[in-house]
Amino acid sequence: MLIPIIGALIGILIGLNLPFEIPVSLVKYTAIAILAALDAILGGIRAQLGQKFLFSKFISSFFANTALAALLCYLGDMMGVDIYIGAVAAFSIRLFQNLSLIREELFDRFWIWRSGRREKDM
Amino acid sequence: MRIKVRSWQWGIGLIAALLGLLIVLQLRTEFKIRAKLPTRQVNELAQILKNQQMRLTKYESEISTLRRQLNDYDRDREILRLKMAAGLTPLEGPGIRITLSDSEKKLKEYEDPVFYIVHYDQLELLVNELWAAGAEAIAVNNYRLGSTTGFSCAGTTILVDTRRLAPPYIIEAIGDPANLKNALLMPGGFVEQQILSFNLKFIIETVDRLRIPAYKGSISFDHATAAKEEGGN
Repeated sequence: MLIPIIGALIGILIGLNLPFEIPVSLVKYTAIAILAALDAILGGIRAQLGQKFLFSKFISSFFANTALAALLCYLGDMMGVDIYIGAVAAFSIRLFQNLSLIREELFDRFWIWRSGRREKDM
Repeated sequence: MRIKVRSWQWGIGLIAALLGLLIVLQLRTEFKIRAKLPTRQVNELAQILKNQQMRLTKYESEISTLRRQLNDYDRDREILRLKMAAGLTPLEGPGIRITLSDSEKKLKEYEDPVFYIVHYDQLELLVNELWAAGAEAIAVNNYRLGSTTGFSCAGTTILVDTRRLAPPYIIEAIGDPANLKNALLMPGGFVEQQILSFNLKFIIETVDRLRIPAYKGSISFDHATAAKEEGGN
């Protein structure tokens, strides 16, 4: 659990110190990419909690989601279709689904752990 | 088992770093935008900005092309043309030479000699005829006529600007020789009526290569200043 946090911190530090910024006209697409990446990470956490985690799947979903989401939004803009909105909706729904599943799983684990401890105490 | 777990955890760490980087970059840009603009129009404004930047680069390339054209434009040639028009440069070219002088006819007692000498207005009208026939440059007795040149009469001599002329008056004009000659010799024209009829000596020769000197008078504008062109077409 420590390694992802350290990694995130390193990333944030690098991001804060980079001399360049995302061009204003591209901000829209990177926002979607970030949403996709978050979705991939939450999906990974959920899979790990369910003991179904596959590293290759996680990596491919992370990069493919991110790149495809940004690319599709760009294409949509070129064609005058607001795929942007669709992507936001889809990823948000998945994000909340994953979040709720993770919360449920953690809750269950907590209860199991607590009841186990109580049994020990008794 | 433990080593296997480690290896993919490094991968997750890397991805977490990537995500952190992306989010921070995004937030930096986003905050910067928000500091200046209302959020709702950001995307439209971004689009406008992109378009304007594209147009800017287009215009910049256009400017550089035009600048190059301007440099290519031969300024010296324009100056030379204006100098030629103003009479400030000697010219040469084909044209005609007219020799005009007083009548050599022996006058009878009753004849008034006034009619048989060259008057300044005859000279002036002759020059006018030449201009009208398309002469590009005219000199009288080797004195180039400028844009402000006028003929006048001072007692018994003819003045062109302030310079005295003495007969024979040699008028040289650059232009199409045939045109000039025909215009002068037109039946019933000025020459026939005003010059030949008084038996003045009048000779026209065609010259292949005339040389006309530059205007030697002063050019000064004490009263006139350049004004803006009106209308403009």
